[in-house]
Amino acid sequence: MRAIVRRTLGLAWVLPALVLVGVFVYLPLVQNFQFSTLEWDIYSGSQEYVGLDNYRRLLDDPVFWSSFGNNLLYAVVSIAFQVFGALVLAALIESVRSERWRRSLRAVYFIPSAISLTVAGLLFYFLYEPSLGPLNHLLRAVGLGELAQAWLGQESTAMSAIIAMSQWQGFGYSTLLFAVAIQRIPGEVYGAAAIDGVGPVGRFVHVTFPLVREMTGLMAIVTVSGSFQVFNEVMVMTAGGPNNSTQVLGTWLYRSGFVRNDFGYAAAIATVLFVITLGIALAQLWVTRSRRVEW
Amino acid sequence: MRPRALTTFAAIVGTSVLTLAGCAGEPAAKAPAADVAATPEFSGTLSILTKFAGDPLSSYFEGIAAEYQRMHPGVKVELIQETDQSIKDKTKTLTASDALPDIYFTWTGNWAENFVRGGRAADLTKVIGPGTPWGGTFGQAALSAFAYDGKYYGIPLYNNGKFMGYNKAAFDRAGIGVPASFEELLAACAPLRKAGYEPVTFGNKDGWPALHYLQQLFAYHVPADVLNADFKPGTAKLDHPGYVTALGQFKTLVDECTDTRDGTNGVLYSSAQEKFLNGKAAMYYQEILEFANVTDERELTPENFGIFPLPVPQGAGGDPGAIEGAPEGYLINARSPRVALAVDFMKFATGRENARKLSAAPYAQPSTVVGAVTEEGSGKAVSEGVELVNKASYLAVWLDTVTVPEVADAWLAGGEALVSGSSTPEKVLESVRQASAAAK
Repeated sequence: MRAIVRRTLGLAWVLPALVLVGVFVYLPLVQNFQFSTLEWDIYSGSQEYVGLDNYRRLLDDPVFWSSFGNNLLYAVVSIAFQVFGALVLAALIESVRSERWRRSLRAVYFIPSAISLTVAGLLFYFLYEPSLGPLNHLLRAVGLGELAQAWLGQESTAMSAIIAMSQWQGFGYSTLLFAVAIQRIPGEVYGAAAIDGVGPVGRFVHVTFPLVREMTGLMAIVTVSGSFQVFNEVMVMTAGGPNNSTQVLGTWLYRSGFVRNDFGYAAAIATVLFVITLGIALAQLWVTRSRRVEW
Repeated sequence: MRPRALTTFAAIVGTSVLTLAGCAGEPAAKAPAADVAATPEFSGTLSILTKFAGDPLSSYFEGIAAEYQRMHPGVKVELIQETDQSIKDKTKTLTASDALPDIYFTWTGNWAENFVRGGRAADLTKVIGPGTPWGGTFGQAALSAFAYDGKYYGIPLYNNGKFMGYNKAAFDRAGIGVPASFEELLAACAPLRKAGYEPVTFGNKDGWPALHYLQQLFAYHVPADVLNADFKPGTAKLDHPGYVTALGQFKTLVDECTDTRDGTNGVLYSSAQEKFLNGKAAMYYQEILEFANVTDERELTPENFGIFPLPVPQGAGGDPGAIEGAPEGYLINARSPRVALAVDFMKFATGRENARKLSAAPYAQPSTVVGAVTEEGSGKAVSEGVELVNKASYLAVWLDTVTVPEVADAWLAGGEALVSGSSTPEKVLESVRQASAAAK
């Protein structure tokens, strides 16, 4: 009897949180899927059930696929810079003997991450500005004037310019997390490797890298997941242009709904995006369980 | 699967299916049309969504609201002020959630038509139509811009039109006069550049500035009846050769007269405007609403500021007297319980005194009320622009609001592609044709 009361009381305690999560997280998910099966005229309020037609349209939409491609490119570059690049940098910082220098370097690399993406996007927009931006001025000043161009105005360079900004902004955060992971590695392991004659590169490959694999896996998944949720920086810097060349799934979703009035189709894109990020989140759970390093 | 889990799963699936089954909904029931000519009850809260956020415009409606509340102490006016860009999302969100305010901003063309078609705009013919005292205070063309199927829905607040603004001192220094044709405009770019100016400053980061050039050129090259048919996907053919010619001429202008050329998509519209105001560029294609930015504090002073319509290309087969522009105004929510009060407020807002205030500095939005715009009150350029708009044989409404969003979006992407050189006029037109066919 007491156990039943305790269980009921326990349920009562978590019920408000369950209701909140249900109303604000799961209900919108169900509603979003519901919207994706409709052709919805927001002006008249009429809603026509179209089944999976909006999902079929996705298959033939070249902008959807180029957006997906841009997200993938974002993920690949982010993995290279924000996971492997950040790991190497963290190892270099942690190998510095002076504690004061280590702290300073961590702070220097972390500062860009403290700037909001919207602000960073605006900052880089002006940096890339073709006639007034300092980047082109700098290129001309060092004799590389032929490389000066409208970085965000050309379809060939716009996406790379946005991704570059994003790496600058996120690099320091990953570096800091890797630095923390490296600090957790017992000093004796490095000591033993040194006695065995292993050099700095060897210590990184055979000691650091395997012992931070849990963090590496986690960062890889967080980075890929973040790459599919990109929105702010693209909206601020190009809004998906020129000629849809910098659309990502998030911005194409927004444009389909709020510019093209195609809210059912936008909901279908949102569902696809949800499935992708859900898959990545499940992978993250699996990785954090299976790659744990114990010592 | 355990029995209890199976039951739970079945319940969730069942609920989802029921929810989905109920989603093919009917339009929300329309409230019976309120009498727009009724005597208003001066009580309650009147909500208004304006496009006047930011300095100096925001204080215009704030002042009117304060004055109206002083006259009618039982009324509270709630202002929701948005910018030109943010109002698009805000209006659509409020529409989708059935929470439109009592009075809301609108453009003409397909933008306003959507609200009329959806039963969200009150029919104001009884109070603002031809022959009514209130309707008689407005220019007829401005009123007609919001008429659909012979009914009048909109309250035009100010007129707008697009003109090439130019720096007279730059023209003098380059030894050129106002170009009489599009070809002369192109020819003027070399001497202007030689005189140390960017001939035409242009920022197309947002895509729509290119559409303004294009729509004016389309109006010159394509007859008005063909254009109007092409705006509607149901009747569109988009096969007039004038489109390709216009697209080609626009590309030539970008390549020959701007410094940023194929990188113009990376420049903000406002950055281009700054370049013109700082006296570094000789010309800048702009709306009447922007003329007030030329002040004595800037390098380009009002004395040196002149305007002319984008010159007509030689041999163009459309309407040489066309000017791109349209009034902007307000609709009254047909489902509002305070329609008569909303009408009364807008009558007050468009009264002669407030119309003059709107047309003069610091607002300089040329009112659609007849006689409100004067050279003394609004400045020479605004007065001249409004006169040219009033004289125009055809008003070409903005390309991004006159047609359906899918087609407008295709024009937007096509304009950007043309600027960057990644597409040709023929390919751009084909992409628009496809978007129009898909939107049928």
